[in-house]
Parts: sequence; structure tokens; C-alpha cells
Amino acid sequence: MEILTQQLFNGLTIGSVYSLVALGLTLVYGILHIPNFAHGALYMLGAYVTLTSMLLWDFNYWLAISISIIVVGLLGVLMERLVFNPLKNAPPIHDKIAAIGILLFLEAFAQLMWGADYRSMSTPYGEVVNIFGTTVTMQRVLINVGAVIVMITLYLFLKKTIVGSTIIAMAQNRKGAHLVGINTNKVAMLTFLISGALAAIAASLSAPINLVFPGMGHLVILKAFVIIILGGMGSIPGAIVGGYILGFSESLGATYISNDYKDIIAFVLLIIILSFKPQGLFSKEGV
Amino acid sequence: MLKLEGVSVKYGSFSAINSVDIEVEEGELVVLLGSNGAGKSTTFKAISGLEKPGEGDILFQGDSIRKKSPDRIVKAGIVQCAEGRELFSRMTVFENLIMGAYVHRKKKALVKKSLRNVYELFPILEEKKNQDAGSLSGGQQQMLAIGRALMTSPKLLMLDEPSIGLAPLVVEQMFEVIEHINKEGTTVLLAEQNANAALKIADRGYVFESGSVVVKGASSELFTNDAVRKAYIGA
Repeated sequence: MEILTQQLFNGLTIGSVYSLVALGLTLVYGILHIPNFAHGALYMLGAYVTLTSMLLWDFNYWLAISISIIVVGLLGVLMERLVFNPLKNAPPIHDKIAAIGILLFLEAFAQLMWGADYRSMSTPYGEVVNIFGTTVTMQRVLINVGAVIVMITLYLFLKKTIVGSTIIAMAQNRKGAHLVGINTNKVAMLTFLISGALAAIAASLSAPINLVFPGMGHLVILKAFVIIILGGMGSIPGAIVGGYILGFSESLGATYISNDYKDIIAFVLLIIILSFKPQGLFSKEGV
Repeated sequence: MLKLEGVSVKYGSFSAINSVDIEVEEGELVVLLGSNGAGKSTTFKAISGLEKPGEGDILFQGDSIRKKSPDRIVKAGIVQCAEGRELFSRMTVFENLIMGAYVHRKKKALVKKSLRNVYELFPILEEKKNQDAGSLSGGQQQMLAIGRALMTSPKLLMLDEPSIGLAPLVVEQMFEVIEHINKEGTTVLLAEQNANAALKIADRGYVFESGSVVVKGASSELFTNDAVRKAYIGA
């Protein structure tokens, strides 16, 4: 029983990180219909920027995360301006090629800057706490609470503010957005900003319990794609629910089936869910 | 108010409209007649900035809007209610209307007043304000599309085939509303295949055929023009 609650909590933690990454991916997909393969590189850079700010300038954890959010968010905007916007009238395959190009470029850049070594990030929240009879580190609690706060904030921003609604409007009907006078370029930049920021938050929160290295985004982005495909491409609730489904099944699978096969569970799950619901769980187009 | 001077739009090598000249005076209700593919919608897209003309110029209140982006054109006071309605189908009726007032989002009083106006014009929209736009009937969706366009407080309202796919009784109501909007002071440019109904409320008209204007004149002239009668009115 104790193992079960422990693993459920782990699943929640992993799921929180997956959901944050998948949310950024699904937002961009929803409005531009670009599968942004470079999103994993943004995640990786988010961790590096936080780590560097902490080690080099001795910033505290929260300040370092804020810097990472800004830097990676702006990098997302830069990507949209320099690469995706000029390609908007090109065939869709060009976006995909460009996204892979950005991914390779950013990873090579990280290797050059920080080397290929595995690094660990220290956290001021390493102490152990006891919740409902389960022993967990404060950092893991922080990941869960942080992710939920970010998701609620994002939800309120998208639903309750006019600027946020423009993202949903553009996802539902791009031409309609043009017709009411929404500047779709600005919305695209805003979406990439949010998407980058979400990746930075996810990476900075989870880096202390994982390791930081140039290829750290690979598996995360592959799983984020699994999540948004099984949740329904472009769907926000789909990304959140999908993230937690994957988190729980991985941690439970690792304990009760085999730890060696934990990374394969995502893909088995994808095949099973798509066999029954080929459009994904939340199959409406758009948000 | 609006002046198109020799506007041409090409899709690849296919020329959708060819040196079109149109003029709309303030307060007028002008109709563009023509069958499918004659170039009416492309003309609207060019005016809205959704398609950039290869040649020619578009003047609005004396300034060229040819190079302006679609959102700047809406801000300048031209709004289009497109043929496909292009609603945000999973937002509520109310949210659609509020998005319509996007360019005036900081003028709360104006938004409130426009909303009042739209609800007065289409009481059914107020009744269904919390329903998803996608759940409305075709006629109600068309009302919402027009309502959303009116939320921008336009100087020039362009309506692309508002009667398409609607029941005859609803079409009649729709034209009454359009006439009413025009009488209240909004200049209207209407694209229609239903020449009979459109010419009844319009001041002037242009007839499109394969991308060019072939006949133009006052509504009464077009009504009695043999070629127009044969092609569009069916006399």
C-alpha cells in the first residue's frame, strides 16, 4: 500500500512535467498547425539557463527560473519571427523540416556552450516531508503545486482575458480572427512566448530531480507528442489529462511491470488509445 | 468613401479579378451581382486585405489601404461578413460578439452600446447568448456573423452572400435588417446572387462576370437591363 501511494505521487509529479511540456506543444499546434519538434530543445535550454544563472551569478532558484522563462520565451518568439513566419505560405512539410533544423541547431549550441556532461541542479527544497504517510522531497511537492498553479493561470488567461481569447479564437477559426481585426502575427508571437515559458518552467522545476544534459529533451518531447496525439491535437484539456495518464501509467508500470520498460509504456498506451479513439480523447479540432 | 481603381488579383496564373473599378459613396447600399466564381468574394478579400492585389489601388476615405494588414483595415472601419460566416463555433454567442469588438476592446462604453444595438437588431442572439455558436441554426448563425461584424462599429459593412442557404422567409428578414442597418447610417457593400431581393434594397449595382465588371448602374436601370434580367432575375 505504501509503495502504491508512493508511486501514485511519483506519477503525479512526472505527469505534471509532461502536461506542462505538452501544453506548450499543443498551443502552438492549435493555432499554427506546426508540430514543433524544437520544443524539446526549448525545454533543455530552459534547464540550462536556470542552472547557469544559479551557478554563474549565484542567483536564487526563483530568480533563475524567472530569467529562464524570459529567455526561453523570447527564444520561442525569435523562432516564430525568423523561421516559422517566413514559411507561413510554404507547404506544411517545410515547417516540419525547419523545426527539426532548429532542434539540431539548439542542441549543438548547448553542447558547444555547456559541453556534453551530465550536470545536476541543486535545489533549496531538498528536505524530506511527510504527506499522508508518504515520504517525499519538497521539490516534488513544488513540481505538483507549481504545475497546477501554472495550469490554472493559463486557463484563466485564455478564458477570461480578451488577449488570451485571441489565441482560442485563432485556433478555432483563423479567417474569423482576421475578420474581427485580430493581428494574427501578434497572436502567433504570444503563443510561442507562452509555449517557451511553459517549457522553461517544466524544465526548471524538474531539473533538480533529473539531470541536465543536451539530449534531455529527446524523450520528453517524444512523450509530449504521444500526449497531444492521444489527447487530441490542439486540445488543451487533452494535453493536461494526457500528461497525467502517461505519468501515472509510467510510474505504476515501472513498479509493477518492469522499470526497464517504463519508457515504452507511452507508446503502447498510444497504440491502445488510438485503436479505440482514432481522433484522440478530446477529439474536437482546436482548443 | 471606397474606391477600387483597376484592381487585379491572381491566384498563381489564374486571374480571379481583372482591373475592377468600383466606387461606393458614404451612406450608399451597393450590390455586387454575379454567379459563383465571378469574382465577388475575391473583390471582398482584396478590400479586407486578405488577398493582396497584384495591380491597382484601393482607397478608403482618400487613403490607400492596399498595403495595410487585415487588422489595420478593420481598425480603419471596414469589416467583412464572409460567406462561410467564419464564426468561432465553440465559443458562446456572447463571446463571439465580444471578440467582434476586439479592436475596440479598451472602449468599454462603446462595446456595451454596440452589444445593446446588436441585441436590439437580433433579439434571438440575446436569448441564446450562452449557447455555443456552432449549435445555432443557419439563419441564427448568419445573424451572429452580421452582429459580430457590427460590433466593430464599421463605417463600411461588406456582406458576402448573407442569404445563401437560408429559407425564403429568413432571407426576407435578412434583407430587411440589412436595409435597416444601412438606414441607420452604415454604408453597405453587398455581394449577392439573389439579384431580385438585392436590387430592391440597393441604390446601385455592379454585375460581375468571370472576374470583370460587365454592367453597372442604378438599381432601377439594372432591373430593366435585359441581360441582367435574363441572367439573374429569370424573367
